[in-house]
Amino acid sequence: MNAAQLAALSPIGALAIGAVAAMMLAPLARAELVRAAAALSLALAAGLVLLRAGASPAPIGTLYMDDGPARFGIVYASLSSLAALVFLRGGSAKEAPSLLVLAALGAATLAAAGHAATLFLGIEIISLSLIALFAFLLSRPGLEASYKFLVMSGLATAALLLGVALIYAETGALAFAGWSGHGALFALGTALLLAGLAFKFSLAPFHMWTPDAFEGAPAGAAALAGVVSKGAVAVAILRLNATAQLPEPLWSSGLAALGAASILVGNLLALRQPALPRMLGYSTIAHSGYIAVLLAAASPRADEAVLFYLAIYAPALIGALCASALLGKAPTLPDLHGLVRRRPLEAAALSLALLSLAGLPAAGGFIAKLYLFRVLVETGGWTLLGVVAAGSGLGFYYYARFFTAPFIGVGAVEADPLPLGDRALLMLCAALIVLFGVAPGLVIDIVTPALSLR
Amino acid sequence: MALIALLLLPVIGGVIAFVVAGRHEAERWVTIATFALMLVVLVAIVVGAPDARWYARFDYPWVPSFGISINLAIDGLSAALVGIAAVLGIICVTASWQEIRSDSGLFHACLCWTVGATVGVFISFDLLIFAFFWEAMLIPSFTLIAIWGHGDKEGAALKFLIFNAVAGFGLLASAFALAALADHMTFNAFELAQMKFSTPVQVWMLLGFSLAFMVKLSVPPFHAWLPEAHTLAPTAGSILLAGVLLKTGAYGLFRFGPMLFPDGLTAVAPYGIALGAVGALYGGLVACGQNDAKRLVAYTSIAHMCIILMGISAGVHYALAGAAVEMIAHSFSASALFLLIGALYERTHSRDLRQLGGLQQYAPRFAAAFSLFCAALLALPGTANFAGEALVVVGLFQVTWIFALAALSTLVVSVIYATRLLKGLVFGEARLDAAVHDLTLREYGAVLVLAAGTLTVGLYPQSLIGLLEPAIRAALAPQLP
Repeated sequence: MNAAQLAALSPIGALAIGAVAAMMLAPLARAELVRAAAALSLALAAGLVLLRAGASPAPIGTLYMDDGPARFGIVYASLSSLAALVFLRGGSAKEAPSLLVLAALGAATLAAAGHAATLFLGIEIISLSLIALFAFLLSRPGLEASYKFLVMSGLATAALLLGVALIYAETGALAFAGWSGHGALFALGTALLLAGLAFKFSLAPFHMWTPDAFEGAPAGAAALAGVVSKGAVAVAILRLNATAQLPEPLWSSGLAALGAASILVGNLLALRQPALPRMLGYSTIAHSGYIAVLLAAASPRADEAVLFYLAIYAPALIGALCASALLGKAPTLPDLHGLVRRRPLEAAALSLALLSLAGLPAAGGFIAKLYLFRVLVETGGWTLLGVVAAGSGLGFYYYARFFTAPFIGVGAVEADPLPLGDRALLMLCAALIVLFGVAPGLVIDIVTPALSLR
Repeated sequence: MALIALLLLPVIGGVIAFVVAGRHEAERWVTIATFALMLVVLVAIVVGAPDARWYARFDYPWVPSFGISINLAIDGLSAALVGIAAVLGIICVTASWQEIRSDSGLFHACLCWTVGATVGVFISFDLLIFAFFWEAMLIPSFTLIAIWGHGDKEGAALKFLIFNAVAGFGLLASAFALAALADHMTFNAFELAQMKFSTPVQVWMLLGFSLAFMVKLSVPPFHAWLPEAHTLAPTAGSILLAGVLLKTGAYGLFRFGPMLFPDGLTAVAPYGIALGAVGALYGGLVACGQNDAKRLVAYTSIAHMCIILMGISAGVHYALAGAAVEMIAHSFSASALFLLIGALYERTHSRDLRQLGGLQQYAPRFAAAFSLFCAALLALPGTANFAGEALVVVGLFQVTWIFALAALSTLVVSVIYATRLLKGLVFGEARLDAAVHDLTLREYGAVLVLAAGTLTVGLYPQSLIGLLEPAIRAALAPQLP
């Protein structure tokens, strides 16, 4: 292993060391110190990638890729986890930051995976830390979410492993690049692989765990499940699209079908949800669907659109979850009424984040929607376009209920002082959403080089 | 740069209004100042115009990789509509002086932003920027209805939002399809107008665009959102909806229909005229049956928008000119009626034609103004509406006499609802216990501005047609640059 490869691996190292350090500090040091250690390692991981922004790729065999999407995925996972760390709280144990860094490590591994072993490793690391984090508050809904996730995750992992085994039986390869062929076993393996990935991506019908997790788990953990792990899986599928020759049309039409189902199921179930986190849970299923539709298109433009979508989606969902966390356990519509008078900052940031999720102009989500439309028009996916339009129309309904609620009526008066970190994070998310919406060229300039290494 | 100022002024004005709210009606004065400044900028643009076709243009790449640029241009039609939006903005502030007491800052911010977004629609010549403003205007206007409306305001606001937002997808998808089919990826309407698309393609794209335009115009069967939104909105919301927002649909069809889809428009013209005729009759007849004055006026809006649709579909000079004039005329008359009915509702808490009446005994100024705008509603000669509707009918006669007859029959219907409105409120026996305050000077001033507009255009239509002529000629001969 030469120096360049070591440098390429250094973000993973930073995350691994950070996770262990935070774990060892947990029983000894004060909670702030543990969080600081975790935050440091996450920032370091992102920084180490950004330092090598212009460097040529130094992959380690097929296990660890160092291309643009991988770098994007690692930075994305680290920064999103860092944001989630800010509002991950509650419970008495101090191990949460360590688990969070571990999840980021899993996501980074997954994003860099070019081989079934690293793919599996990444997914399992994320799942295991999420199981613990969901149950972290030891509340009944949290335990239920964790339990549900544990059981379903076990099944999904089994499916994924069996799928990889079948693919291996047919192709004799574990690296993505060696996956090509026509046999029935290969097709079956691909279907199982898709099912396993769809579970992590919370695509319908493998979405059942998502709303419970968003409702019961700490908001920080929900952000990990909704943003970090989703981004990593999306990058993994991007690489599968680019390097493996999975049986067509099974793979891409399967993705498209799952995506369309998620858009409809997620949006329909979100329609009547009164609780903000649960609504976000269902909406995240719908957004998975939009991304899956883009992944199924598998054109260079679609790849760009996926990364752009992820970049837009993170500040919106994190902002919404952070605001929701500040309002206490599972705020419902009436809780939000009159919020703008009690807490103008959260109210504005929350409304802006929901506007972005709804895809309305001046927020980044509008540009993400433009990308989606463009890809679907260019690939001639008129049916999918119809599904997306229907889904977005439904989305307007439930997002509108929530983003206007803070401006309507008067709620109970309460004025807790805002934690400084949360306030900064909310402002940052709001600023990013507006920046992406008003000057999308900037983000496109960041995203496009991430793909040029392919 | 002046065009950018026109867009930024309301955005900034809205923010300031929101921040300074609560002290000495500051937000109201800030909003008025914002719109007044917009008018000053507009006048400066028009007066200092370098050439006849476009007073000012602006082009700046926004997302180059998408072929999207901030491409703005303003001609007579755009200038007239922008001017009306700003004037109605000021009138909205005066109309809501008493009505809006809660969250006044946000209210005035939404007012500014609604007008700002519609101004964006009126001057954008990049289809995506157009779509951007098209959707952007939905949020502040949705908020206006949802927070300060009456009755089931949230339901009405949601209906408004969903109808218009979903229709917006038709616009977006067609814009993308058009850009994808073009020689190179571009959303620039001027460039797209130069490219030749086959007639079936044009028809499909036109239908996609029209979905958005028809919903905004509230042409039956796409009108279901309008009666409730208009009736339940606050007075200022109704004025903006009728005076500005509906016009975005008419404007879009007038501007981009002939410009981008000349053959497509010709192909679907008979259907457009027929739809307009049926819609105009339907809207007029339903209006006749309303007892709520505001709802009645809302339905007459449907009828008048359908007349505009007929005019644009007919595609001959007279009809196009009529449609353009009718856009402006309807802004004056419908806004004034909503303003007057809003003022009445503030005083009596009723809009029911069966409970009110005889207002000329207590409120002569109100009665005079109301009579004038009822006359405009039924398009009596001397009002701007007459100029518009007569030109449309003449144009339709040039195309087919059957459709012209249909348009004429809607004018008969308009006599029924206008007299019913007049008799129910102004004349007849007084059915109220207490006397009703006449219009305050503030309200009277606002009404006089609109009356001046209606009468000026009505008595001397050339004053407006001269301004609109280049845009009408461009719509007539879309191949010319």
